[in-house]
Amino acid sequence: MRYEVTLDDRRVRVELGDHGRFTVDDRAVAASVRETVRGRQWSITLAGESHEITVVTHDPLRLDVDGNDVRATVIDERALRANRGAAGTRTGRIELRAPMPGLLKAVHVKEGDHVVADAPLATLEAMKMENELLAPSAGRIAKVRATAGAKVEAGAVLIVIASE
Amino acid sequence: MRAADAAYAIGPAAPRESYLNAARIIEVARRSGATAIHPGYGFLSENADFAQAVAEAGLVFVGPPAAVQRLLGEKTAARRLARVAEVPVAEGTEPLTDVAAARVAAANIGYPVLLKPAGGGGGKGMRMVRKEEELETAWRAATGEATTAFGQPALYIERAIWNARHIEMQILADNTGNVVWLGERDCSVQRRHQKLIEETPGPSVGDGLREELGAAAVRIARAAKYENAGTVEFLVGGDQHFYFLEVNTRLQVEHPITEMVTGLDLVALQLRIAGGEPLPFAQADVVRSGAAIECRITAEDPRAGFLPASGVIALVREPAGPGVRVDSALYAGMTVPTEYDPLLAKVIAYGRDRIEAIARMRRALEEMRVSGVPTSLAFHRSALFHQDFVTGRYDTGFIEHWDARIAPELSAGATSAAALAAVLATRARGERHTLPPADAPWARAAREDALR
Repeated sequence: MRYEVTLDDRRVRVELGDHGRFTVDDRAVAASVRETVRGRQWSITLAGESHEITVVTHDPLRLDVDGNDVRATVIDERALRANRGAAGTRTGRIELRAPMPGLLKAVHVKEGDHVVADAPLATLEAMKMENELLAPSAGRIAKVRATAGAKVEAGAVLIVIASE
Repeated sequence: MRAADAAYAIGPAAPRESYLNAARIIEVARRSGATAIHPGYGFLSENADFAQAVAEAGLVFVGPPAAVQRLLGEKTAARRLARVAEVPVAEGTEPLTDVAAARVAAANIGYPVLLKPAGGGGGKGMRMVRKEEELETAWRAATGEATTAFGQPALYIERAIWNARHIEMQILADNTGNVVWLGERDCSVQRRHQKLIEETPGPSVGDGLREELGAAAVRIARAAKYENAGTVEFLVGGDQHFYFLEVNTRLQVEHPITEMVTGLDLVALQLRIAGGEPLPFAQADVVRSGAAIECRITAEDPRAGFLPASGVIALVREPAGPGVRVDSALYAGMTVPTEYDPLLAKVIAYGRDRIEAIARMRRALEEMRVSGVPTSLAFHRSALFHQDFVTGRYDTGFIEHWDARIAPELSAGATSAAALAAVLATRARGERHTLPPADAPWARAAREDALR
C-alpha cells in the first residue's frame, strides 16, 4: 500500500510492502521497528540511529518525534485518487468548530453578517477561561448552528462562513 | 489520591458542587478527624468566607486569617495598603461597574491599559486593551470571567507597563509578628496572564533590587498583619522601577523553586505556623544557593494559540534524575477534565547555577512524553533554547514574540522514521475498531504503566 505523508510542511511518500519492507520516497529503508506501546509508540532504528515516535493525538494526527512536536497527515492511495477527482469542487464554505467541549457563552454574529478575518464570532467558556473564537477567514455568515448558553462538544460545527 | 493515606468523596466534578462547596469540605474534615484544612492552591485557597467558616467550625485554616484575606483579596484595597506602606503602585482606578466609566478612565490613563477583576487575582479575567475599539469586547469577556471566578463582575483599570518583568517575592510570617522574605521568582513567561515558566533567582534581579523587593514585601505583610506563607507580586519595568501588583494569600503553584534554592519545606512551615509555632529562623539565617526553574506542563496546544485541550491520557513518561523534581497527577487512562485548570504536571530542575538548571531542564523536557492530548511541552522545549530565555533577557511579552509556526528541524533519519510511524499509527487506529473487548482502556493503561 502506498501513502502520502505530510510532516508539518514536508511531504514524504511511504510504501509498505510484504514482510515489513518499506520504501520512503521510493528508496528501500532497512528499519527495525518495535512497537513499544500498542498503537501509540514506536522505537524505529534506521542507519544505526534509534528514533522514538509517540502519537500525541490521533485525530488530527500529532507526533512526538524524539521530543519534537510534528503535525502529520496520512493519505492512502485510494483516498489520494478520490481526492484528485474531487479537486476543483471546493465550495468555499469554512466551518468554525468548537476546539474543545465547553459552554457557549455568547454568539456575536448572525446569519448574513459580513466578517473580516480574526473577527470575534463567539465566546466559549472552558477550563475556567473564556476563549474568543475568531473568524478563520473573511466572509459572510452562512449559518449559525449554535445558540448562546448551549453546551457544545469538541468538533461541533458552530458557525459556517461562506468565503468571498 | 495515589499518594493519600485516606480519601473522601466531596461531590461531583462541577466545582460548585465539590471543590467550591465549603460546607461539604468542612463536614468531611470533621468526619475524618482532621483538625486543620490546607486549601492547596486551588479553588478555596483565597476565599475569605471559607477561611472564616473553617475557623468557626473549630478547625485550623492553614493560611492567613479571613480578615487578612478579605483585605488583600479586594485588589484596589490592597493597592491602597501598598501606598500606605510606601510601596509604589501603577496608576489605576477604583472598582468600575460599567463599560462607559471604563472608557472615560482608560482615556485618562492612556492606552494600553489592563482590565483586572477587583474581586480576585491570579490573572483570571484579566485583559490587555491596546486601543479604545477593543475595550467593549475585552470588558465583556473579563467581567464574565471575573463573575465565574470570583462571583463579582467589578473590574478596575491599571496602566499597562511595557517590557515589564513579573517578579514576585515569597514571604513567611508567623503569629507573633516575625516576617521574613525568602527570595524572588521571575514569572514573566506567561500567556493570557497565566504563568508557564518560573525561575529563581530572577536573571535580571541584582542584589540591590532583591533587597528592595524583599523589604517592600515585608512592609506590606506587616501593614496587613499577615500570617503564614504568601507571595507579593511586582512588575519591574525596563528601568528597574518596580510596582506592586497584588498579594497572593496562599501557597503558589511555583513554590517548589523557592524550596529548591533555600532547602526549606514551605508546606511543613505553613503547618508549623498554623499550629502556632514561631518561625524557626530569622532573616539572616535564610541562605539561597543555586538556581531553579519550573515548567508548568499544561493541556494546551502551543501551536494553536495555547487553546486548552481535553481528552484521555494514553501514555505518560515523567523525567527523573539528579536535580529534577516532578509534581504531577498524571497517569495513563486519566481523563483531562474541562472543569479545572489545564495544569497537568510541574517539572522542576535545580542546578548549582542557572546554566546547570537550564541543561537539566532541557534534558528533563526531552525525556518527558505525554500522549492523548496536546500539551505545552513543545513550547517549553523550544523556550529553553530561545536566545532571550537563555540570556535571561525576557519579559512578559516573551510568548507573544515566540513563533509557534516554526516547524522543528528533523534529520533525514527522523523524517523517515516519523513518516513510517505516521502510517503505522493510522493503520493501528483503523484496526482498533475490530479489537476484542480485552483492549479496554484500563487494560491498556495497566500495560502501559508496566512499560514505564
